[in-house]
Amino acid sequence: MGTVFLMASKEIKNMARQRTLWTLLGVVIGLMLLGLYTGHQVYRQQKLMVDRASDQKRTEWLEQGEKHPHIAAHYGTYVFKPKTILSLFDHGLDTYTGTSVYLEAHYPHEFMFRPVQGYGGAIRFGELTAALVLQLLLPLLIIFITFQSFTKERETGTLRLLISQGVSVRSILMGKVVAFTLVGFIVLTPFFIGLYLLSGEESENQVITDVGLRTVLLFGIYALYLFVFTGFSVWVSLKSSSARNALLTLLTFWMVTGVIIPKTAANFGETLYPLPSMKAFKEGIHSDIANGMDGAGSRLEREARLKEDYLAHYGVTSLDQLPLNFEGVRMQEGEEYSNKVYDAHNDKLYARFEEQNRIGSLLAFVAPYMAVRNLSMAMAGTDWYSFNDFTAKTETYRRNLIRTMNRDMAENSRYGEFFEYKADEKLWESIEDFRYVSFTAQRALSFYRAELLALTLWVLWILFLMTIPRKIKNL
Amino acid sequence: MLEAIDLTKKYGGFTALDSLNLTVDEGDIFCLLGANGAGKSTTINLFLNFIEPTSGRALINGLDVTEHARKTKQWLSYIPENLQLYKNLTGLENLEFFCGLGGVGQDRDALESLLLKSGLQKDFVHQRVDRYSKGMRQKVGIALARAKGAKVLLLDEPTSGLDPKASNEFSELLLEMKDQKVATLMATHDLFRAKDTGTHIGIMKEGTLLETMETSEISFNDLESKYLRHMHA
Repeated sequence: MGTVFLMASKEIKNMARQRTLWTLLGVVIGLMLLGLYTGHQVYRQQKLMVDRASDQKRTEWLEQGEKHPHIAAHYGTYVFKPKTILSLFDHGLDTYTGTSVYLEAHYPHEFMFRPVQGYGGAIRFGELTAALVLQLLLPLLIIFITFQSFTKERETGTLRLLISQGVSVRSILMGKVVAFTLVGFIVLTPFFIGLYLLSGEESENQVITDVGLRTVLLFGIYALYLFVFTGFSVWVSLKSSSARNALLTLLTFWMVTGVIIPKTAANFGETLYPLPSMKAFKEGIHSDIANGMDGAGSRLEREARLKEDYLAHYGVTSLDQLPLNFEGVRMQEGEEYSNKVYDAHNDKLYARFEEQNRIGSLLAFVAPYMAVRNLSMAMAGTDWYSFNDFTAKTETYRRNLIRTMNRDMAENSRYGEFFEYKADEKLWESIEDFRYVSFTAQRALSFYRAELLALTLWVLWILFLMTIPRKIKNL
Repeated sequence: MLEAIDLTKKYGGFTALDSLNLTVDEGDIFCLLGANGAGKSTTINLFLNFIEPTSGRALINGLDVTEHARKTKQWLSYIPENLQLYKNLTGLENLEFFCGLGGVGQDRDALESLLLKSGLQKDFVHQRVDRYSKGMRQKVGIALARAKGAKVLLLDEPTSGLDPKASNEFSELLLEMKDQKVATLMATHDLFRAKDTGTHIGIMKEGTLLETMETSEISFNDLESKYLRHMHA
């Protein structure tokens, strides 16, 4: 261990005296901190806008005046997915999924189906964010710092002098990996400290209740990724006969695992598990609502059965004899059936998404970038599962809102009466304001077991590689 | 201290070293003379365990260098033709680092004094090595051997490219090491330096040790004649 420490110290001292390296690191750190600052400004503006819009929509809902509950159900309201502080680090799918949804009676807003329209290959690439810098550009920086780590020693002859001291190749390799990993930490640490400090603000709105933990986990994920890339790069340098070969090998690895495989994964997923077109998806839903699923009969037949059931249940012969407004019951039953149809179609659609995502997850075993990209989005709360969670909770809220309106109509108005009956703000107030709270980091990670396993295996593989070398050829 | 027993190295059908047998005792400076490709550097590399023998054994202090690689390296110090150090570190820092790797715990003052004793000018001790001449780097190599208390010195063309003054200084340092009972095996083209510094000379050609002699028993002219005769044979 003493030798590893000595090697690492020497490497750090050697690098510390390279002005160009420090200039490069300074530029990268400066850009990332600047990105953090500007990202935070954007986050605050967006959060302010979302808060204002949410307040405005809530006020509009409460102050909509007296009206029939069904009209209120169509008047509807907007809910907004609050930005999380971590989304400034990794936008993930937020840009493509949107962050607001309009809630009204009969059907979920288009927002829910947006993935059908927009799930092309591009959505899996993300946009230029601090996360992308760490996922793709930091490895590139590591490659440029490390590709000569052994080849230069071999070319200048210092490697012979090192080995002649009785130092094992493993110790030299480990020492270099430790030193270069520490240099990488110089880039990572200030950024994540800044993010952690800023994340304190998140406790105010509690969208993510464990934002501090998520920031620490993000740091851990990127630290492991850094170690994997550093270890691999130094190992390639050890095994390469020249600096040129090492650089070519590493750039090829970077290109294949960081660009080609993610792109291929998206295209491969779409080919293997094609999604229905927006038109076909909608038509399927409308058809099943109109004609019924699994032999349930058409809408008219279902309504006729409902009417008969109610008349029989209350022992009356006409709807106006019922102790409640059958129109409210009919509307709610229609809602329930529509919900059932939507759920069935959505389940099929989401199963397809999951199949596509699984391909990406499996490719994490050959491309560490895939593992880190997915885990990063998960921790930032901007991944597909977080989006699903948000849409599911808004849909639950919408269904409760509509159910409340229909129940009020059924219980407080009479059959045949529509415009005559008006509910007031007491009813509007009974609908609590929508407030989104994301699931925990632990639950978020549970969706990415394959990625966690892949990253762990990558780390173990690098550690294993570091224990293999016993002798260097062509000294 | 140093012993080669039927030491052979082949690369496919090419024999780089053929059944070498030699012994270098404490206080001996054994110079291997020969043209390029004679097997001198192969011999040094085999003792350093940089390459493994096809057959035969290379022993340092009685231990086989392939079986006891780490132990035998603790006893030796190696100075190649063009000793390269870490250019961003000073001579003293390089010495500290390599001593540390060799498990030698010497304080800075002692190491600085060793550098000075090895002929490095005081002004250069704390200067980065990228400002050093080749001769100055060789002196750091000698200081390292001294700091390690090396029992064996393996030198591969150490004076090649040095000016006469630097070569003389280097020879003097070798003679000091000789007095400290260090066994030295030096590969060289330099007949004059071999005769002047060595205790024994071996003439090699095409992987074979053709003849060995003690320098005290041969004049420079006779050595030159023998060498040329072997080379032209």
